[in-house]
Amino acid sequence: MKLLRILLSCLLAVTIFIVGIQPAQAFCGFYVAKADTNLYNQASQVIIARDGERTVLTMANDYQGEVKDFALVVPVPVILKEEQVHVGNPQILSRLDSFSAPRLVEYFDSNPCEVRMYESDAVFKSAPQAAFAERQLRRENSLGVTIEEQFTVGEYDILILSAKESNGLETWLIQNGYKIPRGAKELLRPYIRQNMKFFVAKVNLEEYDEGGFERLRPISIAYESPKYMLPIRLGMVNAKKEQDLIVYLLSPNGQTELTNYRTVKVPSDREIPEFVKAEFKDFYTAMFQKSYERENKQVAFLEYAWDMASCDPCSAQPLNQEELKQAGVFWLNSPSRNPRSIRNNVFITRLHVRYTGNKFPEDLRFQATGNRQLFQGRYVIRHPFTGTMNCSAANEYKRSVRDRQEREAQTLASLTGWKIDDIHNKIEFVKFQPTQWWRNLWN
Amino acid sequence: MRNISVRELWLFAMKDIHILARSHYILDDARTYQILFLACFLCLGIGTRDWTLRPDLIAVVIVSCLLSQWCLSALVEYTKQKNNNIFLTNSTDYLKDSIFSHKVISSLRSALITALGLCLLLRGNNYTTMAVASCLAIASKFLFRFRGKHFFNPANFGIIIALILTNDAWVSPGQWGTDWWYLLLFTGMGGIVLKKVGRWDTSVAFLLTYASLEAIRNFWLGWGWEVWQHQFMSGSLLLFALFMLTDPRSIPNAGISRLIWAVSIAVVTFILQDYFYISIAIFWALFIISPLTIFFDRVWSAPRFTWKRMLVVSG
Repeated sequence: MKLLRILLSCLLAVTIFIVGIQPAQAFCGFYVAKADTNLYNQASQVIIARDGERTVLTMANDYQGEVKDFALVVPVPVILKEEQVHVGNPQILSRLDSFSAPRLVEYFDSNPCEVRMYESDAVFKSAPQAAFAERQLRRENSLGVTIEEQFTVGEYDILILSAKESNGLETWLIQNGYKIPRGAKELLRPYIRQNMKFFVAKVNLEEYDEGGFERLRPISIAYESPKYMLPIRLGMVNAKKEQDLIVYLLSPNGQTELTNYRTVKVPSDREIPEFVKAEFKDFYTAMFQKSYERENKQVAFLEYAWDMASCDPCSAQPLNQEELKQAGVFWLNSPSRNPRSIRNNVFITRLHVRYTGNKFPEDLRFQATGNRQLFQGRYVIRHPFTGTMNCSAANEYKRSVRDRQEREAQTLASLTGWKIDDIHNKIEFVKFQPTQWWRNLWN
Repeated sequence: MRNISVRELWLFAMKDIHILARSHYILDDARTYQILFLACFLCLGIGTRDWTLRPDLIAVVIVSCLLSQWCLSALVEYTKQKNNNIFLTNSTDYLKDSIFSHKVISSLRSALITALGLCLLLRGNNYTTMAVASCLAIASKFLFRFRGKHFFNPANFGIIIALILTNDAWVSPGQWGTDWWYLLLFTGMGGIVLKKVGRWDTSVAFLLTYASLEAIRNFWLGWGWEVWQHQFMSGSLLLFALFMLTDPRSIPNAGISRLIWAVSIAVVTFILQDYFYISIAIFWALFIISPLTIFFDRVWSAPRFTWKRMLVVSG
């Protein structure tokens, strides 16, 4: 047994490699673009950094259609001025993503697979090219729509609209070149009644060409509001399929959780067969789907909760101060109004929400908690020792590996719903000579 | 067997009757049901709801609640006895009597209910947070009294105090989700307890008022019924309405005052939730309205609730 333990610890003490899952970047369904444009609205990614009522919300775009057709409508709780809007670096999303992604830990080589795992439908479709032609700041028109602010930040032309009623806003958007899908009016009304404003962004082509950008950069907005929520209902207007949303919630205190839906941890710390290394993307996608169905499609999944000063094991280096600032963290080295906040501390919560209109009837509402329990989606591969073994414990070791492989197969089947026979066929089971019972008697 | 006398048989029989009577007495107390149900919810939550409750923190809460209750209620009992017999000097005997008196031991059940309520609702990182919440929850029963009746729900008081005083306490309103079978379970078990204590009117008044207010708001906003339904299938809301709101010892005694009291809590909850965006508005609403119990009891008088007629439970 001692030898076995030594062997096992030797196996475990090899290199650790991590394969981060990188969901395609996109935004969750407030797109407004030409009807004939193909939108690849896959997984939305949002960063929310919040301390007290101060909030920085960063929305990432992986819009892959024609840039001139891009536009975005997001309900926001307050009127935003030019200085409250910032265009950031797209790298920050991938940095946060790779830092917090569910990880495969193995004890041999790594498999740096690039994974694209989420798919969902495009949502708002319309044509906003002429939308900013009229410059009528702070003038309410007959439709009850007021342009509260109008400015250009980076490659985006931005309007902050307020409206008195949804018919007016819908008509205004249509008149100004936005093709609003059916059903949008009903979804706009609750936001108007809650006195929310509308953040409308489109690409300023001149700025975009001058900047020589390869893709649209994320937009960050900073505001103060007691409302800690993320509007997702608007994105459901004509989406039939499930949509994926990854929210990175940054707080000085601890985990952030949903208050109107359950937050459930993804299955983690499971040992799975070796071959999954090559199929990690499929494994995670299948496992996530299975968990999603098991929870009746109505919960948010916690994929990562960690203090950002460290990681164990690290899928990427922790973000430095500059990167944290880019992600919207504003409380570093600044005196806080909130005496409870722990200075210079950033706790990240990564929530993965797969939503449909009927299972997620309300927008997401969050609350910051002091919960400092750490959690990560982590899956372990253990390669059996394949070198020469010339000792009496070898057979016993092989038997234990064989048992372990069977356990791993069962775990994989229950996590993903894959057929156990298919899994068995893919596993290279270790061969060993079964010990005959009479040997123990007379030897 | 042959040697057993009639007298011994008689004693045996009496012992059995006594045991039967005692077990009946235990089942007759609504608190026993409440302890069983809350313990059952706690097991369900840990087993099926992905809660990461630390066993050590649960132990801290239970031990702190029971110890505080025991000490404080023994102290009260001791003072009473001493005041009643001022001429006797042997205080050690009083102390002994007080510590093990039936009244004091029996009151531990109430403390266990408070402890289970705290375990179900309050979350924290540190022992001190949980211990502070537990001790102050029990202490509130002895500190905030008016005419011999405490007016804060102890678990609610503990939760709010922990939120105010410590850095790491929180309540997870989304922890039960919105599954329909929890709805049935809570309603069923809550119904049994409420029938026993005769306080179902309070829960119904609260739920009806709150549901109506939310329905009106949803209609005005233009949200569909599915939003309303989603709000009301929240397990946490039901657990609160059926098990916390109806603590018969701290809420007003008279029927009419209970109705007004429940309606006020619903209105305050609605305002805090939808206009101040407080995620745990129900707990704050109960905390704010609780002191009004004194006023309600003055205006509408009714006999105070006791867990069992023959008992006068302190606390």
